[in-house]
Amino acid sequence: MSSDDELAERLRNGDEKALRTAYDRHGAAVLYLAQRLLGNRADAEDVTQLTFVAAWTGRDTFDPGRGTVLGWLLGIARRKAVDRLRSAQRDVRTTETVRAQLTPADEPESPERVVDRLVVADELGRLPDEQRRTLELAFFDDLTHPQIAAVTGLPLGTVKSHIRRGMANLRRRWEVDGAAFGSRQAGPTRAL
Amino acid sequence: MQHLDPDRLVLLALSEEQQDTGESDHLAQCAGCRHDLSALREVADLGAEGGDLRDLPNPPEHVWQAIEESISASAARTAETAPVIDLAHRRDRRDRPARQRRPRWLAPVLSAAAAAVVAVAGTLAITGLLDRPPTETETVTAQATLAPLPTVPASASGSVEVLSDGFMRIDVRNLPLTTGFHEVWLLDPDNPTRMVSIGNLPNRSTVELPVPTGTDMNRYSLVDISDEPHDGDSTHSGSSLLRGTLTS
Repeated sequence: MSSDDELAERLRNGDEKALRTAYDRHGAAVLYLAQRLLGNRADAEDVTQLTFVAAWTGRDTFDPGRGTVLGWLLGIARRKAVDRLRSAQRDVRTTETVRAQLTPADEPESPERVVDRLVVADELGRLPDEQRRTLELAFFDDLTHPQIAAVTGLPLGTVKSHIRRGMANLRRRWEVDGAAFGSRQAGPTRAL
Repeated sequence: MQHLDPDRLVLLALSEEQQDTGESDHLAQCAGCRHDLSALREVADLGAEGGDLRDLPNPPEHVWQAIEESISASAARTAETAPVIDLAHRRDRRDRPARQRRPRWLAPVLSAAAAAVVAVAGTLAITGLLDRPPTETETVTAQATLAPLPTVPASASGSVEVLSDGFMRIDVRNLPLTTGFHEVWLLDPDNPTRMVSIGNLPNRSTVELPVPTGTDMNRYSLVDISDEPHDGDSTHSGSSLLRGTLTS
């Protein structure tokens, strides 16, 4: 499996197989984001398609210095999904569908939040095994440091340092790729 | 002033322990520690909410197929502005047997334009017979000035005249040397992967080549001179040298 940098390089060189690799690696996250934002499967698949096509035609604008391939794809997908939502809302307004207002949907999660979750989850999956394992126990099983030490058999000091480093890695990635920080959003890929 | 220890910040961020009053006082005064703690809290929350993201289902294969089709179509659309890359790119896809690879020779349907050419030719042939020696009966029905593509030396140039007798007169100058040969094509500018091969250029500056009968000159209006390697592949190499649009 090639690294993210290598994948980016191949994409920029116009290697169509690299697009397939990016799709295999990140298509699920793009589809998830689109589905969360749009709420229906058909639109989500459309947006997934639009995202990868836009990524391909705009591959020259991808700047590895500003984030990862996943961060870039999610940025494109988020804009595509939001565009679609807006045009759907326009349709609703123009046809004066009042009924929608009578059944207010649950406050949906913000697009930025979904992107941030995906980015952090992706980074978690890339951490060294022990860092990842200790963080998973803290996040998903709500275990304390001493409990994690007991479960894993690792010394408490090791657990602490794994968690501290793991958190630092997640934070760094979030600050690079997260939706809230985005020099990217104002960058040239805006046009995609 | 003693900043909070990184391990301690993580414990607070994970809500595993509560801050004591000394820490609260420090956080109230220290923007740096406050920022670190809030960033780590956010990351911890995002991480904890990511439990359902670990094994996301892949998109179905038909989504990928739609992506591939869009890319092929847009490659075709942009081929006019970026011909070298896009046509070469299509050639790279030769390993896919299902795709049509050879240039499509058009079904000999006479378009209105082609019919008009024939009609004009007919008229001129008659008037020519009456008024002029036979060598001057030919009339130029369309012409194009050929300009070099960006990758080609700017001194390369050419012109094309479509003659009423169904021939094209091609005049080229300063084409880059090639180990292969130069081939003349008529492309559909709206879909440059559709093209008609007119023939190859012999080693002299002016040549007349026959246009296949029935070619719709309105559709195939973009003249393209390519550099073709001797690779036995009859499709366009993707290496265009000169181009120009026919106008009447």
